Amino acid sequence: MTHSNPTRSVLRYAAIGLYVAFALFPLYWLLKIAITPDKLIYTTGTAFLPSAFTLDNFVSVIFLTDFLVYFKNSLLVSGGTAIFTTLVATSAGYAFSRFSFRGKAIIIAAMLITQMFPLLMIIAPIYKIMAGLKLLDSLWGLIIVYTAFNVPFATFLMQSFFDGIPKDLEDAAMIDGCTRFQALRKVVFPLTLPGLAATLGFIFTAAWSELLFALMLINSNDKMTFPVGLKTFVSKFAVDWGQMMAAGTLALIPSCLFFILIQRFLVKGLTAGAVKG
Amino acid sequence: MKQLFRTVAASAVIAATLSAGAAWAETKLKLVEVITSPARTETLNALVAEYEAANPDVDVEVISLPWGEAFEKLATMVAGGEMPDVVEMPDSWLALYAGNDMLLNLDDSIASWKHGDTLAQKTLDMGRLAGGKAYTLPYGFYLRAMFYNKRLLAEAGVDTPPHTMAEFMDASAKVSELPGKTGYCLRGGGGGLNGWIMYAATMNGSNEFFTEDGKSRINEPGSIEGIQFLIDMYQKGYAPKDSVNWGFNEIVAGFYSGTCAFLDQDPDALISVAERMDAADFAVTPMPVGPSGKAFPTIGFAGWSVFKSTEHSDEAVGLVQHLSSPEANLTWTKKVGVIPIHQGAEQDAHFATEQFKGWFETLNGEEYVPTIMPIYLKNFGVFKEMSIASSQDALLGNRSAEDLANEWADFLTKEYQDWKNAQ
Amino acid sequence: MTFVSSTSPGQGRGRILNWFKWAIEPYIYLSPAILLIALVMLVPLVIGTSYAFQAISLLNPFESGWVGFANFEKLLADRFFWKALGNTFWWTLGSLFFQFFLGLGLALLLNKPFRGRGIVQGLVFLPWAVPAFLSGLNWAWLYNPIIGPIPHWLTALGLMSEPSNILADPNLAMIGPITANVWFGIPFFAITLLAALQSIPKDLYEAAAIDGASAWQSFIKITIPFLAPTIAITVMLRTIWIANFADLIYIMTGGGPANSTHIISSYIFTTAFRRLDFGYASTLAVALLLLLLAYALIILQMRKRLIKGF
Repeated sequence: MTHSNPTRSVLRYAAIGLYVAFALFPLYWLLKIAITPDKLIYTTGTAFLPSAFTLDNFVSVIFLTDFLVYFKNSLLVSGGTAIFTTLVATSAGYAFSRFSFRGKAIIIAAMLITQMFPLLMIIAPIYKIMAGLKLLDSLWGLIIVYTAFNVPFATFLMQSFFDGIPKDLEDAAMIDGCTRFQALRKVVFPLTLPGLAATLGFIFTAAWSELLFALMLINSNDKMTFPVGLKTFVSKFAVDWGQMMAAGTLALIPSCLFFILIQRFLVKGLTAGAVKG
Repeated sequence: MKQLFRTVAASAVIAATLSAGAAWAETKLKLVEVITSPARTETLNALVAEYEAANPDVDVEVISLPWGEAFEKLATMVAGGEMPDVVEMPDSWLALYAGNDMLLNLDDSIASWKHGDTLAQKTLDMGRLAGGKAYTLPYGFYLRAMFYNKRLLAEAGVDTPPHTMAEFMDASAKVSELPGKTGYCLRGGGGGLNGWIMYAATMNGSNEFFTEDGKSRINEPGSIEGIQFLIDMYQKGYAPKDSVNWGFNEIVAGFYSGTCAFLDQDPDALISVAERMDAADFAVTPMPVGPSGKAFPTIGFAGWSVFKSTEHSDEAVGLVQHLSSPEANLTWTKKVGVIPIHQGAEQDAHFATEQFKGWFETLNGEEYVPTIMPIYLKNFGVFKEMSIASSQDALLGNRSAEDLANEWADFLTKEYQDWKNAQ
Repeated sequence: MTFVSSTSPGQGRGRILNWFKWAIEPYIYLSPAILLIALVMLVPLVIGTSYAFQAISLLNPFESGWVGFANFEKLLADRFFWKALGNTFWWTLGSLFFQFFLGLGLALLLNKPFRGRGIVQGLVFLPWAVPAFLSGLNWAWLYNPIIGPIPHWLTALGLMSEPSNILADPNLAMIGPITANVWFGIPFFAITLLAALQSIPKDLYEAAAIDGASAWQSFIKITIPFLAPTIAITVMLRTIWIANFADLIYIMTGGGPANSTHIISSYIFTTAFRRLDFGYASTLAVALLLLLLAYALIILQMRKRLIKGF
């Protein structure tokens, strides 16, 4: 595509603009509720611009609730999960991509099956197992559980990225004297950076927004993660919309930052030379 | 300097030993609250601290479950073997936990309690609803009354709050003529069963659920009229079109946002309404009476229960007793929005206001007969659940009131038979 | 697969050792994954499946009575199950269709560098980062005529006679959660397809352009085949996830009005925790599992054929 057609460019930018608008509009609404004073939330709800502006909700959330603690916990759990899952999944995805061996079909089937039932069904057994391992009310317990939940998807993702890299690369490296593992590390790994970045991004946000197990496995207030924290704004009598939306808005910042950080790797293309011949 | 250092070091060692010693002697109790809000947690922590101060070797951990997930979470904790010692027990859960033989019988401890005789009789009656024994010590009552928006009524030309059902429908019609406003904040979604039962009973002139032969009374002609009343309200547009899906939060929000003028609710709704509406704009009146001159507002409760699995039953019971003592109970019920459990509560300044008038009039008036939902039925929870979809169908006009009533009657009659047989 | 050994084959014993090392190699790479999944998911799954054959008391799931296939017979006769199954189908199809194509479109747009691409990527990814519970509440707000703008816009556009809440209409209610799900899921496809697009060698397009191929032809002959494996996997996985994903529905409509939006997954939840029938809930889960398994097998067959074809 060497010619750049001005009409085409305009259309492209318009399309991108529409996507961004669609993605951001509900979040704008979230923010709008977060900065609207409580009394006005129901009366001026449908106006596009907020009629009054207050930062009270944000102040309350940051200083008067335990939200900063919840954030910290979520960061630890999500970061830990992302790292461990990616390590395990890269290894497993590589195996699926490069080897054919007896039992491969069974293992793939087992991984697929883990995606096919509502996690609700295993909550009681997992609870009992974690209680037995004394991992209840522990961030490590959550990390282990989340890693297990995310490994199948991450593995399949990494497998498809590995599939896109020709085997000749590491074969060539191995003929030159590397072990398979060294070939993997030095030659193949750098080429999977876009895939790796995508995987990290997904796992982080999946762990970041998980609610059910965080709710069930954690009891004490100082270990709660932020989705559970959001739920505390819903009492039997009222939903504290202003504060909840403020907390929700704040929570989006780390995800956004994390993603902006890794998207640099996402768009690294393959260097042309390595692929040819 | 050296002297100072030694003193400090010595004190540190002593302090460490003392606290270690105290930790050794400590009994740890787990208290789970399920109807959680920041205000309640704060109050609860204060009351618990009083107990801990009076019992220095007991340490209480308060676990607060978000109400939306509280049932599932507590059930999972119990299923996984991690039972708390003391738990806040809503009336609708009592039959389940008591029926599974998980709760301690508190009858003896109430009898030997120094504050046991100031308990209102209703307190003991309700606490014994499941299985005839006091598996819970109620901390307060939920009683239905009618909130009304004074301003909307004035605008619509309604001078006095409605006293009868007919006046109620009439007033709702008038308010619905105002642009963008409707009369009744109907609870068509989860938790709306109380409304259907109340109006059915009111039009039927009786709050008995079952005849002497054990047949459900919900499909008697009077009851069907009551069910039809609500359907008419919705179909005629006297309730917001949205309300077929409305749960607790939506009806309360509908009321305080001025969208609908009438709200039948318990004193706990008063808390959120009072925060967002001027006291001059709303008031509370007893539920409207039916053709028989009586109304049958539902009454419910929540209380404290002790799990049988507790390893420290004396301390656990002691905690419950402390929380239920007259002073603690007054503090708690004021914050929480329920009617207190000890006699003479309405003398207190807090409960003598215009807003609480509605409830105390209900409690003390002859025309108002509090109705207790049949929570002793084993599958009452299931009935509550299935009533949602079936009643929504009726509101939307997909089935008749009679059809709905018959389906309910069949289910309830069978449940009642099962219960009778198990007695 | 080319067989390359890192050591030269020696005498008999060395050869067997090599063979062993070769055979076990994949398992070494796989072991952490296998261990985790087996312990945390498969063992509980087996336990959970066993509930389907029992009459379980919610509070004592570990002591209960076996009832064999009774629960399964109940399932076949259950009117709500079939209704929920139909809803599941529409829910999944509707959500997937729009997510996929809109996501693909976005990926294609993001594939070429432009100023501000980094920021745009960060922004369009945001919906995926919002917890389902919060986005469900948010969209429920947006559709609520009292406090949200959408009914008013639809009325202004003439699509609605007066602002009302589609979530209260049994015929239209499913549209609400589907919209929320599409909003949520576009980033998923956009990012995975973008990463795959990025690994297509650029010279292929150049060569094709030199040969005179149009943009559309390049797309069909180059892009799609390279994307095919990723598309197959992501579509399959996302379908399975959507089928199991009841949170948005539960929050926005509670499965109503009148059960019109209940999908199997939300039905399982209400059966387990509102009707307190854990055994039957597990039966429903097993049924869903079998259906999704069949679906996955079909897709995998198709994928094999797609790859073979090139």
